[in-house]
Amino acid sequence: MAIKARDRIRAKLTDEQTTVRVLLAHPMHTGRGENEQGELIPAEFIQDIRCWRNGKEVLTIKCGTATARNPYFSFQLAGGASGDKIMVRWVDNLGAKGIAETTLS
Amino acid sequence: MTHQADPKRRSFIKGAISASTLALVASSGLLLPRRLLAHWPSDAFTAETVEDALLALLGEAEVANDKQIAFKLGAPPSYAVNGASVPVEIRSELANVERIAILVDKNPNPLAMSVDLTPDVALPFKSMIKVAEDSEVIAVVRADGKLYRTSRDIAVDIGGCA
Repeated sequence: MAIKARDRIRAKLTDEQTTVRVLLAHPMHTGRGENEQGELIPAEFIQDIRCWRNGKEVLTIKCGTATARNPYFSFQLAGGASGDKIMVRWVDNLGAKGIAETTLS
Repeated sequence: MTHQADPKRRSFIKGAISASTLALVASSGLLLPRRLLAHWPSDAFTAETVEDALLALLGEAEVANDKQIAFKLGAPPSYAVNGASVPVEIRSELANVERIAILVDKNPNPLAMSVDLTPDVALPFKSMIKVAEDSEVIAVVRADGKLYRTSRDIAVDIGGCA
């Protein structure tokens, strides 16, 4: 299934903390939903999301099917300087992958 | 022949020793590739009760109820029109938070997500989850090796086929 929307990532520095917001474009089918014809849509959901700051892994999120469609996450990183590279990668249960990257301004 | 040992016998003993060491190392899990160890914990995510999910994920289901975790659910609080995307927000004053697990009691598979944090990450952590019907949502936090649990009840108008 073609996914047209792009993964988005924003990072902002406030009060010595980096706020990272991630919005991934993914249908997150649970395997229990039905399409218009009443057929079950096979499960397709993100399982693993990892976040790196300047090449260092800082956060791992394991998702189940109960994570909402187009998953949104927001978290804080202690410290941070302008020019920091924040990268997020995800993998779903079918092996599809995605990557989103931003530089702290 | 008394001084020189039979070379076949030597090599057999050598082989037997290295084989047994290898078996020992393999059974202790040292040889498992890191990728396998870090794999998605399917037992925890396919568990059908909160207790089973916690057992599979954290190795224990016994947790202390605790007020040190501030946990916001739904906007307005404890209510969601659409169960397909319910905002959750977790804050805590606890130091060294290692892991956060979010579970929805009445969902077919309660475990919604499990987050591993390094000391670089600070709370709050926000996300969106699906809630199938009116239910109790549980947040379990592991900090300094101890488990803390907080829960909220939520009412949903339209279930979010979780």
